[in-house]
Amino acid sequence: MKIRTSEYIITEVFHSLKRNSWMAFASVGTVAVSLFVFGMFLIIVMNMNRMAVSLESQVEISVYLEDRLTDSEIKAIDKKINEMNGVNSVTFTDKIKALDIFKERLGDQKFLLDAIEGENPLPNSFTVKVVNPSLVKTTAIAINDFEGVETVKYGQDVVEHLFDITRLIRLFGIVLMILLAGATLFIISNTIRLTVFARRTEVAIMKYVGATDWFIRWPFMLEGIVLGAMGGTVAFIALRIAYNMIVAKIYDTIAFFPLIPTYPFMTYISIIIVCCGIVIGAVGSVISLKRFLKA
Amino acid sequence: MIEMKDISKVYENGVVALDHINVSIDKGEFVFIVGASGAGKSTFIRLLFREVLPSSGALIVNGQDVVNMEHGDVPYLRRGLGVIFQDFRLLPDKTVFENVAFAMQVIEAPRRRIQHSVNSVLDIVGLREKYSCFPSQLSGGEQQRVAIARAIVNSPALVIADEPTGNLDPDTSWEIMDIFKKINGGGTTIVMATHDKEIVDIMKKRVIAIEDGHIVRDEAQGAYGYEN
Ligand SMILES: Nc1ncnc2c1ncn2[C@@H]1O[C@H](COP(=O)(O)OP(=O)(O)OP(=O)(O)O)[C@@H](O)[C@H]1O
Ligand SMILES: [Mg+2]
Repeated sequence: MKIRTSEYIITEVFHSLKRNSWMAFASVGTVAVSLFVFGMFLIIVMNMNRMAVSLESQVEISVYLEDRLTDSEIKAIDKKINEMNGVNSVTFTDKIKALDIFKERLGDQKFLLDAIEGENPLPNSFTVKVVNPSLVKTTAIAINDFEGVETVKYGQDVVEHLFDITRLIRLFGIVLMILLAGATLFIISNTIRLTVFARRTEVAIMKYVGATDWFIRWPFMLEGIVLGAMGGTVAFIALRIAYNMIVAKIYDTIAFFPLIPTYPFMTYISIIIVCCGIVIGAVGSVISLKRFLKA
Repeated sequence: MIEMKDISKVYENGVVALDHINVSIDKGEFVFIVGASGAGKSTFIRLLFREVLPSSGALIVNGQDVVNMEHGDVPYLRRGLGVIFQDFRLLPDKTVFENVAFAMQVIEAPRRRIQHSVNSVLDIVGLREKYSCFPSQLSGGEQQRVAIARAIVNSPALVIADEPTGNLDPDTSWEIMDIFKKINGGGTTIVMATHDKEIVDIMKKRVIAIEDGHIVRDEAQGAYGYEN
C-alpha cells in the first residue's frame, strides 16, 4: 500500500471515531464487557484445569511386598522400579513403621490391635510416584507382575474420575468460549454496521469513482481494530484488578488453594484478550461491510 | 465507446425495464436519452457503469466487457467513467476541494497531481474561489458543478449523467449545459438522461427516445419530441 493511502486511511479512521464518538464509546464498552466475561471464563477454566492437574499428580501407587523377602531382594525390587520409565520417586516403608503409622491413625482405638497379640499383619511397601498421571495405570500393572510383589493399589477410581472431570472442564470451557467469541463478534459487527450505515453515501460514492473493495474496507477495518483493541485493553485492566482481588481474598481464607500466580499468567491473558479484540474488530467490520460491497 | 447488443433488463420483481435494446455510441458523441417517467432511462444509465447487470445481451463500454467482468475489475471500469446524478451526491462534511480530490484519493493518485488536477477542474466549472466551502454553503447549481468537477477530475473518456438538471431552474440548468458542452468539446463522450425539453431542443444533439423499455426513436440532431 502506498504511503499517501495509509495517511488517508488513518485520517479517515480518526475523523470517523471523532464524528461517531458516542457510537465508538458504546462499541468499546460492549467489546470490553464481552471480553471481560470471556476472560473470566478463560481464567476460571485454566485454574480449574491446573487444579485437576495438581490433584492428578498427587496420585501415588502403593506396592505391597511379600513377607518372605530378604533385604537384598527388597533392594533389588526398589532398584527395578526406580529404573522404570516415568518413575519419579520410590519410598520404602517397612512393616514396623507401617504399624506405627496405623496405630497413630487409630488413636483412642489402639486397643483393637491387642487382639493380634504382637503379630504385625502389615506388609513392607513402596510408595511410587510417577511424572505423569497418565502413567499411573500402566506402571502399576507392570509392577504387579514383579517377583515378590503381593499386590498393587493406585486408586483406579480416583484417577479415572479425575480424567473424566478435567476432560469435561476443558470441553465445557472451549464450547463456552467459542459461544462467547461468536456473541462478541455479532455485537461488534452490528455496531460497525451502524457506522457503515451512517456512511453508506460515502461508500456508494467511493464505488462510483472506482475505489477497490480493499480501499473501502481498510478504514472500516482499522476502525474495528482500534475499537476492538481499546475494548480489549479496558477488559484486561478490569480482569487484572478482579484477579488480584480474588487471589488476595483466597490467600486470606484458604492459604494452600492452588491458584495460578498473577505473573506471568495475567500477561498471557492480556495478550490473548487484546488479540481477540483486534481479530473480532477486524472480522466484524468485514462482515458488516459485505452487504455494501456486493453490488 | 458504447456497444449495446440485444440488452434486456428484468428486475427481480418481474418489471421489464429494457427490452432487447441495440445502441451504438461513438467516441466524442453527445447523446440525450429521453422518455416518459418509468420508460427505462435510469436503467439504461445504470447499466453503463455496472450498477445493475443486464438480464441478457452484450455490453461493451470503453473497450471493456461489462457483462462478463469480474467483480474485482468493476472499479477499473468506473475509473474510465464520470457519473453525475440528479441529487449531486456530495459528502456534506468535506469541502468543495476535498469532495473533488476524493475521486483521486480513492484511486491512489499522487498528492501533487491531486492538487493540480482539482484546481484545474474547479477552474473549468468556475468554482475555484469556493474551494473551501462546504456543500451546505452552496446553491444547487454550484453543488452540481462540484459533482461535475468530481466526475471529470480523472479525465474519463465517458461522462454519464442521470437528469443532472432535474433539480435546477432553467438558468442554472444552462450553466450546467455550458460546462457539458465545454467537456464534450474536449473530446469526452457524454450520455445524459433528461426530461428537459428546452435543453434537448436547443442543443440539437443526438436523441435516443425510450418508451416502455424499447427504443422508439434515434435521431442525429433530434428534438425532445414530447409535450412536457
Ligand atoms: N431496482 C428496481 N427494482 C425493480 N424495478 C425497478 C427498479 N428500478 C426501476 N424499476 C422499474 O423499471 C422501470 C424503469 O425504471 P427507470 O428508473 O429506468 O425509469 P426512468 O425512465 O429513469 O424514469 P424517471 O424518468 O421517472 O426517472 C420502472 O417501471 C421502474 O418501476
Ligand atoms: Mg430515472
